[in-house]
Parts: sequence; C-alpha cells; structure tokens
Amino acid sequence: MDLSHILLVILLAPLAAAGLIWLFGRRRGGLAAALSVAAAAVVAGLTLYLLYAFWDGAAAEAMSFRWLTLGGFSLSLGFSLNAVSAVMLFVVGFVGFWIHVFSLGYMADDASKGRFFGGMSVFMFSMLGIVLADNLLMIFIFWELVGFSSYMLIGHYLKKGEAAEACKKAFIVNRVGDFGLLLGIILIYWTFGTTQIAELAGAARVSPELLSTGVGLLLFCGVLGKSAQMPLHVWLPDAMAGPTPISALIHAATMVAAGVFLLARVPFLFTPEALEFIAWIGVATALSAAVWAFAQNDIKKVLAYSTLSQLGFMVAAFGFGSLYGQTESAVGQYGTYAAFLGAGAALFHLTTHAFFKALLFLGSGSVIHACHHEQDIYRMGGLLKRMPVTGVTFLIGVVAIAGVPYAASGFFSKDAILYIAHLTHPVAFGILAFTALLTATYMGRLFVVAFLGLPRSEAAENARETPWVMWLPLVVLAVYSVLAGYVTLPVIPATLLPMLDSAVPHPTGDTHTLLVAISAAAAGIGLIGAFFIYRRAGDTDPLRARAVPLWMLSASRFYFDEAYDWYVAKVQQRVAEILSFLDTFLISGVLVRGTAGVAGLCGIFARLMHTGNIHAYVWWFFAGILILGAYAFGLFGS
Amino acid sequence: MALFGGIAEFLRGLEAESPRVHTSMLLFGIFGPLAFAFALAISGKLEAGAVRVAALLGFLLPVVSAFWLWATYASMGLNGGYAFFVNTPTGLDAIGVSLFLGLNGISLPLYVMSAVIGLAAGLYAIHTNVERMRLYLILLLTMQGGLMGMFASIDLLFFFFFHEFALIPTFIMIAMWGRAARRTVAIELTIYLTLGAMLTLGGLVALAWMSGAEGFNLIALQLALVDAEHQKLIFGLLLIGFGILVSLFPFHSWAPRGYATAPAPAAMLHAGVLKKFGLYGLIQVAVPLLPEGMGAWAPLLMWLALGNIVIIGLVTLAQRDLKLMLGNASVMHMGYAFLGVFAFSAAGAGGAVFMMIAHGLSVALLFLLADSIERRCGTADLRELGGLGQSAPVLMAFFVAAVMASIGLPGFANFWGELAIFAALWQSASPWVLVPALSGIVISAIYGLRAVSCVFFGEARVNYRGGDLRGLEKAGALLLLGALLVLGFWPRLFSDDVNAAVGSLYPVEPPVAEHFLAEE
Repeated sequence: MDLSHILLVILLAPLAAAGLIWLFGRRRGGLAAALSVAAAAVVAGLTLYLLYAFWDGAAAEAMSFRWLTLGGFSLSLGFSLNAVSAVMLFVVGFVGFWIHVFSLGYMADDASKGRFFGGMSVFMFSMLGIVLADNLLMIFIFWELVGFSSYMLIGHYLKKGEAAEACKKAFIVNRVGDFGLLLGIILIYWTFGTTQIAELAGAARVSPELLSTGVGLLLFCGVLGKSAQMPLHVWLPDAMAGPTPISALIHAATMVAAGVFLLARVPFLFTPEALEFIAWIGVATALSAAVWAFAQNDIKKVLAYSTLSQLGFMVAAFGFGSLYGQTESAVGQYGTYAAFLGAGAALFHLTTHAFFKALLFLGSGSVIHACHHEQDIYRMGGLLKRMPVTGVTFLIGVVAIAGVPYAASGFFSKDAILYIAHLTHPVAFGILAFTALLTATYMGRLFVVAFLGLPRSEAAENARETPWVMWLPLVVLAVYSVLAGYVTLPVIPATLLPMLDSAVPHPTGDTHTLLVAISAAAAGIGLIGAFFIYRRAGDTDPLRARAVPLWMLSASRFYFDEAYDWYVAKVQQRVAEILSFLDTFLISGVLVRGTAGVAGLCGIFARLMHTGNIHAYVWWFFAGILILGAYAFGLFGS
Repeated sequence: MALFGGIAEFLRGLEAESPRVHTSMLLFGIFGPLAFAFALAISGKLEAGAVRVAALLGFLLPVVSAFWLWATYASMGLNGGYAFFVNTPTGLDAIGVSLFLGLNGISLPLYVMSAVIGLAAGLYAIHTNVERMRLYLILLLTMQGGLMGMFASIDLLFFFFFHEFALIPTFIMIAMWGRAARRTVAIELTIYLTLGAMLTLGGLVALAWMSGAEGFNLIALQLALVDAEHQKLIFGLLLIGFGILVSLFPFHSWAPRGYATAPAPAAMLHAGVLKKFGLYGLIQVAVPLLPEGMGAWAPLLMWLALGNIVIIGLVTLAQRDLKLMLGNASVMHMGYAFLGVFAFSAAGAGGAVFMMIAHGLSVALLFLLADSIERRCGTADLRELGGLGQSAPVLMAFFVAAVMASIGLPGFANFWGELAIFAALWQSASPWVLVPALSGIVISAIYGLRAVSCVFFGEARVNYRGGDLRGLEKAGALLLLGALLVLGFWPRLFSDDVNAAVGSLYPVEPPVAEHFLAEE
C-alpha cells in the first residue's frame, strides 16, 4: 500500500459505511451501529499506522485528478498530508473512534439508530475530506458537507421543537459565514490562478503584493461560522439540542475546530492587519463566552459556552502567534518554524482541547444517561459517589481545562497561548489571563454543583455508573487529557512533533516562572473560589440570589440572539412580505392584467370558442397538430 | 472498464457500418412517445392496466434512446460538435425549413435530462389515480415527445414547433386537473406564454431573415452575420421572448401559480424541462450569434437576473404554501442561469447549462415530493403541516436531499452549476454582481430548511394517510435523486461535452467591449 491508497481508504471507509447503512441499515439499528463503528475503527487504525509507522513526516501530495472543467474554471481533487493535516487527522481519527464507541451505549435505546449512525459516518467522511484536501475549493466542498451532517445530527430528535429550530439555525448561520468564505476562495482563485494550498504558499512568498487584508478577512468569515466566533457564535449553544455524542464529536472536538484548522492550513494568506483583527475576535469570543457560561444551568450548555471560549483562545493564538512569527526575534529563535508559530499554538490547544472537551461532553452524556435525560445541574448533585468513574474522569477534564500547572494537558497549551499574547499584546494577555480565571471558576461551579453535595432530585439519587462501552472511552480520553501535554511521550506520534512541539513557543527563565505563577493563580483561585461559592448552593444559583447584576450580565448573553431574532422577524420577514405583496398585486395584478388589452381580446376570442367542453379543446389540438404535421411532411404536395 | 470499452467499440463500429441505427434511435426518442400517445388515443376500450403499461413503454423509449445516444456520442470523440443528423425535406424547403435534427455537447445532456425527468413524471403519473387517466397519460406523452424533439432540433422552426407541442398539453392539463382556480391560472399562463413564444418566433424569423443565411437552422446560421444595429433589435426580442418563457424577472408571475396549480407530472415536465427552452435558446442561439446585441442588453439582463435572485428569493421567504414556495424558488434559481449567460464566457455558459440540467432534475423531484406530501396530508399549507418525519422517514430523506440539492449542497449536481457561475461572474464585466448573487445561497438555505422544518419536524398536526413513499412514486423519486447524486459526484459525465461545446461558442474570458464598460 502506498500513501494515496491509505488516505483513500481512510476517506472512503466512512462513506462506504454510510452507503451500506442507507441501503440495508435503516431499519436494522444494530447493523447500522456495527458498520459505523467498524468504519471509525478502520479510520483510527489506519491513522495510527500511518502516523506511527508509515509516514516519514515529509509533506506529501497524492492522487490529484481533475474533477470539473468549464471554460477557464477548473477544479481538482487531491490529497495532501503535512504537519498540519497530520495533527488534525490524529484528532479526528482517534477521538472520533472513541466517541463512536461511546455512542453504542448512549444511543442503545434510540429508535432511529440507522439515521444516527449513518449521519455519524457521513460526518466522518466529510470531516476527513476537509483534513486531507489539498486545495481550498475541495475544503469548501467538504466544509459544506460537514455543515449538512451537523444539520442532520442536531435535528436527530425530530419531535423536539428546539431541535428543529437549532439545526436550521446552525445551517443558516454557517451559510452566512460560507458566503464570505466562497467569495474569498473565488477571489484567491482568480488572483493566484489556483487554490492548491502548496502552490498558494509558493505564490504568496514570491509575490506578497497579491495578498490583501480583505481576502484574508473573507476567508475568516468561514471560520466565524464554523468555529462559532463572534458574532456568528449563536448557533453553537443551541446545537446542544442534538444527541450528546454529537455534541462531543462535532460541536466540541472536530467540526468546530475545522475553522481553526483552515487558518492553520493557510497562515501565509493573511496580512498583519487581518491577523490582528482575527486575534481580537478570538479574544472577544473567549472572554464573552466565559462570562455567559456562569448563567447556564444546563450541563451541556455550560460546556458549549466553554467550547466557544476555548475556540476563541485558539483563534487568538493563531492571530497573535502569526504576528509574532513575523518579528525578527521569532525568526531568529524559531527559524523556519516562525511562520507556523500561530498555527502551532492553535493546533496544540486544538489537540488538547479535543481530548479534554470530548471527555467532558461524554462525561456529561454519561451523567445525562444515568439521570434519565436530566440536564439541569441544579437537579443533580452527589454524583461523584454514585458514578465514580464518570466523576473522576470528569474531574480530570475540569483540571485540564482549568489549566492547573503540570497536572494535565490544558496547562501546556494554554500556557503557550498566554505566552504569545504576553509577547505581542499586554492588554490581550490581561484579558486572556482573566478569562482563564473565569474558566476555572465556571468549570469548578459545574463540578461542585453536579458532582458534590447531596442529590437534588430523584433521578440523581438513583443514578448508577454507566456500562463499560460508555466509561471506557472516558478513561481513554482522561489518560490523553493528562498526558497529551507531554508531547514527547509516545502517546503522541513523533510525526506530529513539528507542529505540536517545534512550532509551539514556550517561555523560558523569568517569563516562564511568571506565566506558571499566573496559571497557578488563575486555576487555583478559580477552582477553590468555585468550591466555596457553590458548595452550599441549594436549588438556585448563588450568583442569581446574591449578585443579581452579575447574573443579569451573564444571562443576557449580550442580547445577540434577541438582536438576530428581531432582525429576522421585524426586518427580513417584513421585507419579504412586502415584496411578496408587491409581486402579487403590482407585477402580476396591475402590470400584467392592466397591459393585457391583448388579453381582453384573447378572452373574447376564447369565449367564441368556448363550448364549455374541455374535450373539444383536446380534439381541436390534435386536429391542428395533424394538419400541421401533414403539411410539414409535404403530404399536401409541392 | 473493459465492459465500457467493449460497448464503446461496438457503438463506434455501428456508427461506421450503419449510422442509420443511431439516427433511428433519435427518431424513436422523439416519435416513440407520440406514437404511443396516438395509439392510446385511437384504441378502443382498454384495461386500466394496459393503458398504464403502454404509457410506461412510451416513457421508456426516450430513456433508451437518450442513453444509447449518450454512450455513442461518448465513443465518437466529437469534441462537442453535432452528431446523429436527420434531415428530412418538408414542404417548406423554399424558405429553408426541413426536419433537421441532431445533438451536440449542449443539447445531448439536456436530451438525456429530459428523458429521465419524463420517465420520473410518467412513473408518478401512473402511480397517482386521477380521473380520465388515459387522457392524462396521452397528454403527458405528447408533452414528452415535444420536449425530446425540442432539444434535438437543429432547424429553428421545428425547435419552436416542438416547444409549442409540449406547451399546449400543459394548458389543458392545468385546466382539467389543476388545483383551485385552475381555469384562471390556465388562461393567464396561456396568454403569457403565447406572448413570449410570439416574441421568440418574431426574433427567430428576424434573425434568419436579416442574416441572409442559407437555411433556417443553427448550423447554417453560425456562419451568418448580422450587423450591430439589427443584432440589438433581434437580441432584444429574443431576450424578452425567451425571458418570459424562463420566468425572467419581472415576467415571472405566471410561473409560481402555474406550477402550484398544475398537476404534479405537468409541473415536473414544465418546470423541469420545458422552461429550459428559453435558456437553451439564449445559450445555443441568441448569445453566440448576436454578440453585439448581447453586449447592448447585458446590463439589463444582469439587473433582471439579480431581481430573480434577490427579490424573488425574498418573496419565496414569504410563501406559506409549499408548492407556491417551490414555484418561487424555481424562479429564483433561474436567476443564476441568467447570470451565467450574462457572464459571457465559456465558464458562465457551461455553468448555466449544468445549472439547467441540475435544476431540472431537482425541481422535478421537489414537485413530485411536494405532491406526495399534499396528497397524504390533504394540504400544502406550511402552517398546517408538521411531524411527518416520524411516519414517513423515507419521504423525509428524499425531501431533505432534494432541498439540499436545490440549495446547492456539494454532492449534488446543482453545486457545480452554481460554483462555475459564481466563478465566472468574478471575471464578468461587473465582478461586484458576485456579491448579491452569493446572497442567494443564504436566502435559499433559509426557505429550504424552513420548509423541511415545517413539514417534517415536531408533532404530527394533520391527519396523515397513505404511509411512506412507495412503489412507482418512490421509483420516480429515486431516479431523479440518483441522477442528481451521480452528476454531483461525477460531473464530468456531462461537463466535458458541455465544456467542449461552449468552448467553441464562447470565449474563455469575456470580451471587454466599450458598451460593457460604458454602462457601468
């Protein structure tokens, strides 16, 4: 087997599974689940084989063929494997497999398993397409397809009204972002004559004058949608209406990270102005989402806002890191890796986040399953004793995301981001450090309220540990959440080290000490503070009871949803209604019928012919046809 | 692969030895359905089953013809040029008219599309139980024969004649089997489309007359020249005439109501195939033959096409009836095809042809499914529908797929048409058009998903009967969805032929003429 065959099998195995499920598995839930999990296992197995044993780490392109040519426009399909896509491949293949396993337990009683697992496989296919694509148009194609699979899976529970709304919202908001992305890609195509990423890298180096801030920001529009950055973040919290494994796979570990991955694939297309803008969007999202998380009582919503916030960290890391990479000192220190500092830091956090956030979501899924679909943390409590494996692994996830120094992976990746911000922008550094404190606090709140204390409902009282198909993935992901920060350990393939180690800036000396101290303070104050604030919480949130303005600030979510709802209902729909009215009455009513003096004449003529019997028309028609035909074929002699 | 090679070898050999086989296939495709229609009309009492089987055979003939010719064409390596000539003299030789048929890289894919949609419409018609079934099928078969002939005509009079041949049964079917207010709608549609057809005929006659060409057909006209002044006049006539027939804004108002009122198979054939007459005429005839005229009218065309996309797109958002919504959406998507024509380049025209094919398949599928929904629920009002997803998961899967196809999701044919048009627009005389045109991908997502959500999600609200999609109805839907997916995954099945043909008619980059710039 050569590289192109391995990549082809990785890409097509889930598609084949989806096709088979569609053909045979719609009513056979067990078969559908088996096919889907088998495909995920093939993907994971081949990915590990590829990254540990087969691939030497050199960027490789494989299997390019022409897909469409129309005039001056042509599009090809091809694979590429390089340091950036290898990281993403590892995350998607490995985390994806364990979430598939978890789904076996979580979805065991679902009536539409065929649809669910078929959708999972379509998703895996689409996501792998993004990861392996060698050109921007191909990325766009699979980008749209992940949007579609996300739509189908969010809407899995057909009866739930909120699911119907949420899946629609997710798709439409993403389309708004894709509007900009496609525009940007078309502009790049005509500017550089190609969308091949390797060729673009060369062209951007040779003629940097072709780059423009506008095109970079158009590409970033796609990231705003897919990675749910402000102001297009509104779909992600609502997307929690889907089944929990979907939230873990699509809306935490992989798809929402696709935006960050896209940035990391093409760091050379962005001007410094664009990078600065991107970075600040990330900072704003990180901070705002952390604030909003405090007023959420739904366990999945808290995690959703934390995902938004962590994605903000990644986007900020990309922006500031790439800016820093352009400075002379960075080039001196990191050499050829300097251009990838932003990508490296963002991907490092993406990887650790994929592990610990998938862990947290699956943990929440385990809790929800055990509590009979109870999602309100104020109706839980005391779960640590009743569900020890879930509880302990969840605590590991909390420690990781809080960034407790050296305890788990989150610390290392967040530390690199804080260091980059420290080097480039002190204000952003301050905001991100404060966000880290907030993160530790709201995650502490989640753990304290849901897992400690006494049960607040019967469901929580009777919760029992879930079966092994559900807790085993938790254990695996917990191990990775701890160890993935120590990238040189063999848990991470050595071929990923260029991105996860060499291209990740780490502080040394005094700065190192300072940053560890800040991380320790943020995590420590946050977690311990949360313990003391929330440990005696009854049925209502202490913030709501005692600090109303803060609660209101958090609960408002800065009125983004309200603003969009107002726009849709009061602007868009009204304009549509008015236009529809004009269309009906002006164009077809007045213009058409008014100018139809001709029509009047026709009407008189028609009345003369009007025998009241429609069959007469039919026979007239055929008679006319026959005469005409006869004439045309020369039957009347000439 | 060896099998394909063998087939290609066989067909090539046949071409060399007895080319009449292929031209006979072409004639079968056109006159087969007509012969079945005629036979059904004159035969005496028949079993209901026999009528259905006969009609089905009538719909199958064009499919056999289309796939045969397609395979032959592929084996011949014609580079988009014309093949399968039939040239039968008529009594009109004095004015250069003969029954002159043939297919090229543009018309062949449309010929195949029209055969596929015809079969799907036929299957659906046979599945539904309407009164006066025999007449219903006779009219549909007549339509189908006209549609096949329309795309196979090289002679312009026959091109027009076959169009009318397909059009008139539409009126009758709307008047006899339509929904509420069918008479009014039928008359409005008749007047409107007759007007459009008259203008078109006037333009075509003027074109033949002023060019002083030898014959009244596409091949003879390609060599003819018309001076710039007359080009503008003729192009104007053709643009408005064809425009009315393709529901160019603001001449569109017949379309949504017509489609919503028509019985589903008629709507499928009209919206899916017949409507493409105008675009086909523009792409194959008007624009390549009248470049100066195109230059003069391009700015207007651009604004009107944007009207289709943005204004009708928004109007679609306000629709409450599923079929009216689909009718408006279909009008909206024609805007993309017009913009492809406007781009005046091989990419734009090729994209427009691909869009026509894809749109034809997807809109036919949508009307089929919408009618299935309406027949099961007794209403097509989006506010009353709901919750069908649980009891009809297959219907839901098809409907979601059809909506996704029509809003341009990759994996379906429509995506390629839209993408090529978008790409071509940036090179057109007014690159900024790309921005409002792209807004359509958001608008169409909104109304498409809203329809899915209204019909299938939530608790069941109306009394639902008839079970899931099944039988011939499912077969018809599967045929269309399959075609959309095959072209979505492998666009080159058609696009290489289309590309070769438009490549010989259109420049790679649009010409930068003064009047293009003067209008800016």
